[in-house]
Order: sequence, then structure tokens, then C-alpha cells
Amino acid sequence: MQFAREINRLVVGFLAILLIVAFAATYWAIVGAETILKRQDNPRQVEVEASIRRGSILDRNGQVLADSTLDSNSILIRQYLYPEMYSALGYFSFRYGVSGAEAAYDSILKGDDLPRDLSAYLSNDLLHRPREGSDIQLTFDLTIQQALAKAMAGHQGAAVVLSVPSGEVLGMASFPTFDPNTLDIDWGNLIEAPGNPFFNRALQGNYQPGGTLQTPLIAAAMLTGSSLDTPIADATRPVPITNVELRCAAVLPSKALTLREAYIFGCPYPFSQLANELGVEGIDAIFHTFHLDTPPSLRGFVVQPTNAIGTTPTNGNLPPETLAQNALGQGQLTITPLEMAMITAAIVNDGNAPQPYTLLDTRQPDSETWIADTALHPSMPLTTATTARQLQDMMRLAVADGAAQNAGRAGIDIGGHATLAYSGTKTQAWFLGFATLEGRQGIALAVVIEDSADPGLAADIGGTVLAAARDTLAK
Amino acid sequence: MALDTIPVELHPADTPKIRRIERTLLGLGAAFLFVNFVGLVIVKADVRATDWLHMGVWLICAAAGSFLIDRYLPGRDPLLFPITMFLSGWGLVMIDRLAPNFADRQTVWLVVSLAAMLVVALLPGPIRWLRNYRYILLVFGLLLLLATIILGRNPSDPYGRTNAPQLWLGIGNIFFQPSEALKIILVAFLASYLAENYPAMRAEGLESGHRSLPFSPRVLGPILLMWGISVMILVWQRDLGTAILFFVVFLVLLYVASGYRLILISGAILIAIAALVAYQEFDVVRLRIDIWLNPWPEADGRAFQIVQSLLAFAAGGIFGQGVGQGSPTYIPVVHSDFVFAALAEEWGLMGVITVIVCIAILVTRGMRAALRQQRRPFLALLTVGLSMLIATQSLLIMAGVLKLVPLTGVTLPFLSYGGSSLLVSFIIIGLLLRLSALEPHDAVRTRN
Repeated sequence: MQFAREINRLVVGFLAILLIVAFAATYWAIVGAETILKRQDNPRQVEVEASIRRGSILDRNGQVLADSTLDSNSILIRQYLYPEMYSALGYFSFRYGVSGAEAAYDSILKGDDLPRDLSAYLSNDLLHRPREGSDIQLTFDLTIQQALAKAMAGHQGAAVVLSVPSGEVLGMASFPTFDPNTLDIDWGNLIEAPGNPFFNRALQGNYQPGGTLQTPLIAAAMLTGSSLDTPIADATRPVPITNVELRCAAVLPSKALTLREAYIFGCPYPFSQLANELGVEGIDAIFHTFHLDTPPSLRGFVVQPTNAIGTTPTNGNLPPETLAQNALGQGQLTITPLEMAMITAAIVNDGNAPQPYTLLDTRQPDSETWIADTALHPSMPLTTATTARQLQDMMRLAVADGAAQNAGRAGIDIGGHATLAYSGTKTQAWFLGFATLEGRQGIALAVVIEDSADPGLAADIGGTVLAAARDTLAK
Repeated sequence: MALDTIPVELHPADTPKIRRIERTLLGLGAAFLFVNFVGLVIVKADVRATDWLHMGVWLICAAAGSFLIDRYLPGRDPLLFPITMFLSGWGLVMIDRLAPNFADRQTVWLVVSLAAMLVVALLPGPIRWLRNYRYILLVFGLLLLLATIILGRNPSDPYGRTNAPQLWLGIGNIFFQPSEALKIILVAFLASYLAENYPAMRAEGLESGHRSLPFSPRVLGPILLMWGISVMILVWQRDLGTAILFFVVFLVLLYVASGYRLILISGAILIAIAALVAYQEFDVVRLRIDIWLNPWPEADGRAFQIVQSLLAFAAGGIFGQGVGQGSPTYIPVVHSDFVFAALAEEWGLMGVITVIVCIAILVTRGMRAALRQQRRPFLALLTVGLSMLIATQSLLIMAGVLKLVPLTGVTLPFLSYGGSSLLVSFIIIGLLLRLSALEPHDAVRTRN
């Protein structure tokens, strides 16, 4: 047989190479698929993402804040219905990802948390029906948020409104902000824009606390039994530190004040004296008690960790200037508006800081039933009920007669503390305030306005928002 | 010995058994296609009569072909025709799914191709012509190639505005790729040349006791001819795939004729050297080899096609996404060179293995027919050559889209879009059908 040997060898060789091809196909279909499909440039992944019908976001009263609808070309468009909600909701974009509440609850909105049962397999994997995500209802209140945005219009800064004692975040705003509806078009400008609109100041802004630390300091004075009512000579004088002079939150003639009055008017000098009395360990202790050294959390959201106060040497050799600087909120410690809102909430809640949260309940696609979120939100004791009540009274006095007068609204029980903080050559105005409702209910709020030396403005914004929140919640 | 006869007689066969196998397989193929056409229409949510028309034309082709070969080609191989129809029907589904605008045209080509296959399979003449008029055919083929080099066009770019390879000759709206026809002509020419010269090749080595074979002019002559044609195709037409295909099939034929294994080894070395030189000299080759070695850094640039192809295999997984439900159209020109990747995405590894097995069966059945005719060197070598055309072409493109070898831009027989390719593949099957049905040499002798 002349060609048999060669032909047989050819067939064997051909089948061997064909087998290699089959192995290569098997490799890419099974082994290599894991890694290669996750590649950023896999258009299939984008296509699947683009076809997901993202769940809607509703406010606490069932008002739709954001939803996904098909445009005229059958492309899903994410719509954000209220400009006042932009900074709280964040954005969702194919190109730029997610932020804010969209990021916090991304997996729920995308439907990643839905059970992978037979019907899901049938409709998603077998029939390739577009996936749908669950709707979510958040703790935000559109009316409060609108009042907040209106009051803060034209200013740069942030505010957080908490419900007491639950810890629900009723409002949260950061300015300047961005329009998530036109994000893909505006992205280039927004990235370059002054004031960094994507930066959520309410949760991530590392602000100098400045005069807001007077609250923990005076609490420390109460706890150590220091007298709040001994006049201190020349209490209104400015306190010089490095390159700025710390001043009272209200314009006052030169005179003697008690510590209590100094708190009401936001005057720094008596507190620098108090800081010397307390010493490094005393100050570290009270800041630790008020959890200023541990960052607060807000489930799902990116929160900037607070600079730990532990960076201060505690061997007692601290120079007096540095000690005063830290105690007066001009040192290394920085805080976020969320953190100050929690402390304010603790004051109106007998010393217990509620854990803030934003998710109320979820509704699965094609379902009418809302399922309550089961996460626990344990509160955190900051101080004693007695101290908290005394602080409340002082804050009421500050609204009645002190630096926070602008926060006063007729017929509402409002307390607050308006102060200044300095960073570099700039000044920020702070207002921490609360309003009480019936029973043990209340509202706590922290407002910071950048580039403003007017605590009265911050107090006015706070008063307006507290009044609006009280009206809304009392209904 | 050299002038082996081409028998007119077809060997007696178990006709009912062949018919049963053939019709069962065709029925299974039709069922598969029907399910897929239904799936496609559902997915498209757009019931167009033409989709069904394509299926209908296929059914008529399958029935008519089956009837005619059953009647006039009794001893044929029962697997060749059903598998050919199955693959080309699957090809129609793919075109309907990937490039519906081309589907009508491809269906017409299927009818033409089937007619050509039947002519070649049922008439005794064509195989004889391939040998008797081999010089005329070769000259004709080379003239066609020359004409393509001078007058070549590209159907998607008829006026040569872009840098697209111009491998087609066009008359009006109909384009044909002459290098496709040249495949059969060259294989037939080499088969008849080697059928006359192989005894000397084999005897030379045996008698002298030392192997000076590779340097004899008898061997060097055709090597240089084939090498020349391949280089010409590569240089003037930038058609890497066809160049490699010609050279590989020729080496294989020379190996079978001479029985000299060193030919395959030295051939492989020649290809490697040619690849190195071409890498230095030709941008098109350098590009292909570069992105083959490492496509990942250029995944969104020059390597986009091959990376998307691998993604298609990955997306398909084992069972595939289902007809019309994957996204293979991300691969540029998916319907011709990358049809295998598209198939992998929608029919998964199951579909891929099915195609591989079908190609394996076609080729091994062809080789089986060659074994039966091994006392008639021309027929044996012709059969080997034709089978290896399908084998090599399939391997080149399947391995190419899987990044096993650099991409060479040849079509996957029967499945890819392309009229010339389909026509020539069907003619090859027609020849193989006829060759498989011819009476084996031994049987002729015993009967005489």
C-alpha cells in the first residue's frame, strides 16, 4: 500500500491539531472566561449594565426622587427629579459610575441582592430579559431638603439634618453641587470647577471645628464640677493663635463674662483658660467621650475618617499654645458636619447620639409590598442626661439672647450654638441646633458655611430649616 | 502505473443503507435548523418572510441534492453530503443573524454551489478534465490570479478608495475571488504531476540507499513553483491566509507522494523563515504577529478584533447565549472571518465542538476515500489534496480566532459568508463525493 502510511499519519496529525483547537476553545469558554469577561473593555458587561432597569429612589413620604425611564430611542435614562436632592442622591452614569445614595444602595437598585432562583435564571440567563432592581425608600424628606437648599442658596457649605431619637437623616446637602441629569456632558467642567462639586462636604468635609468644641469643653467643665457662673475678666478679648485672632461669635464690648455666657456668645478666651485648667489629659478624655476621635459612619456612604486627636502627644509636655489651639478647634482635629449633627442629636436625646441611617425600606420589582430594612441602629452614649439637659438649656439661651439669636422662630422650642472656625485665611460659620417636637421627638442639625465670618447667617439658615422640618414632621 | 485510469464505473453499494444514513442525518440537520430559525424569528420579534424563505431554499436544496445523488451516485460516502448541508445551513442561520442584508445573496450562492456540486459529483467528466487539461487549467488559473493582481477589486469598496485587499474580480454586481478557484486547480495539477513523478522519488531513495531526494529537480521544481505562487499572492495581494494554505497543502501532497518526512519538517522551517522575513518586510504580517503575541495592551486598537473574538468565546461558555441573544456583532466583520467566534458565543462550547467534529468527519471521510484509491496515485493524491484544503483552511481560521496562531483571514468552509468560498467548498465536496463513489482499484482488477 503506497500511500497508506502517510495518509494515516496525516489524519492522526490533523486530528491532534483539531484537538488542540478544541482545548483552546474549552479554555476560553470555561477557564479563561472568568478573568477575560471582567475586563473593563468588555462591551457585553456595559450592555448588561445598560439594560438593567434600576430601581427608583423615593423619599420618606413616597415621593419619587429618581427613576429610570426609556427615552424615545428605547435607551434607559436615569432621571433626577429635584435639584434640591442632587448632592444627597449622588449620580449614576455608565461612563463615570455611581456616587452618593446611588453608590450606597447600588446593589439593591441593580437587583444584585435579589434571590437567584429558577425564575431569575429563566428570565435573565435563558431569555436574556433585562434585569430589574428594587426600589428604595430613603429617610430624606423632600420638603426639608427643599427648605435646606433654599436657605443655603448662594453659599458654599454643607448641612445635615437628623431625626431624634431615630437617627434618620432627614436632609443632607453639600454646595456647590452638580446636575446628575447632565453629568456625562458636564463631567469635564465639573472636574475642573472651583469648590469641587463632587465632594460631599456633609460627610467628607474635614472642617476645623473651631468654636463648636466649646460644647464638649463646657460639658467637661460641668462634669469636673467647675463653676460656670464665675465672672472671668476681659472674657471677650480675642485669642491670638499662629496667624489669626479667634473672636467671639457675637460683637460684644470688652467686659467680664461667666463661662456660661461665654458659651452663649461663642467667646473663645474663657475656653482657652478652661483648656489650661483641664490639661491635655482632660481634653483628650472629653474629646474621646464625645467620640471626636472616631469617625462616624453612615451605612453605604463614603465618610471621611476624622483625624484622630491621638496625634497630640499626651506626655504632659505639650506647649500651652498647642494645647489651646487644639481645645479651641484650630489644631489637628477636624470634624464633619455629620459628626456635629450627631453630637447635637445626643444633646437633645439625653446624651445618646443616635446612629444616622438613610434606608427605610425596599420594594422588589413587580411587587407592591415595601419590606422594612432590618438593620439595627444602636445609639451611642456621649454624656449624661443631666449634662445633656444643661447643654440644651444653654443652647436655648444662646438662641434667646446669644450669638444664635437669628435661629429663633416664634412658637418653636429651638436651641443652638453659633460659632466661628478658622482655616488658613478663611473663616467658616457653624451652627449646631435642635428643635423639639412632641414627646421625646426632636430634630438636630449642623450647618457650616464656608467663607463666612457671620455666625448669624448660619443660625438663620438653621432656624429656617428647623422650622420647616418641625412643620413637616408635626403634620 | 503512472497513467492510472479513472474508472467510470461506480462500485456496487448497499444503497438502502447509505440512503438511510444520509436521510436520517439530513433530517436531524433540518430539525436543528428549524429550531434555530424559529428561535431567531422569536428573538428578532420581527417575522420576515425572507428568513423562512432561506430555510425553505435550504430544504429544497437538501431534498433535491439527496434525491439526485441517491439516484446517480449509489456508492457515495453517506456522511459527506448531510454534513456539508448541515454546516452550510448553519451558515445561513449565522448570516441571517449577523448580517441579514447579505442573507439573500448567500442563499442564492447556496443554490449555485449545490448545482455545481451536483455537476461535479454526478458527471464523470470533471475529474478527468482536471488531469487531462491540467496545463490549460493551470495557465488559466495563473492568468486569473494575474488579472486579480491587475484588475482586482473589493466588493465592499469597488472603486479602490481604501486600502482594503483587492482579491476579487467583478462583473457587474457579482464578485468572485479567483484564488478560491485556484485552490482546486493547483491541487489537481500537483496531484497529477506527483502521480507521474512519485515512483522516481520513492525509488531514488531506495536504490541509492542515501537520501539526496530534497535536492532533485523533480522535487525542487514544484516547490519553487508553489513557493513562487504563494509569495506572489502574499506580496501583491497581501493575502497571508491563501499563501499559507497553498504552501501547506502542497507540502502535505509532496509528503504523501514521496513518503519523506523531512519535507514536513523543512517545510515548517521554511514557513518559519518566511514568517521572520515577512515580519520584517510586510506591515500586514508584522501587525498580525504582534497582536497575536500580545493583544492585551492594544485591546481597543489594533487587537480589538481578536480580543473581542476571545470575549465571544468566553461569553458563550458551555451552552452559549442562544441564537440571536449574544453580542457577537462587536467583532468587526464577524460574518466572514470570525463566524466561528460568533457561533461560540451563541451556541457555546457545544456548538464549537459540533463544528470541530463535523470538520473532522468531512476530512477523515475524504482521507478514507483516498485510501481506497491508493492504487491510482492521481485520484489518491487529488483526494488527499482536496481534503487537506478543507482541513488546513478550517484549522487556520479556527486556531486564528482562538489566538493559537496569527490571524490569516481565510473563511471557515461552509459557515462563513462569501459566495466564492461556498462555491469552491461545495465543488470540493462534489469531487470528494464522486471520488468516494468510484470503484476501488482492487475491485476493478478482480472483476476484470
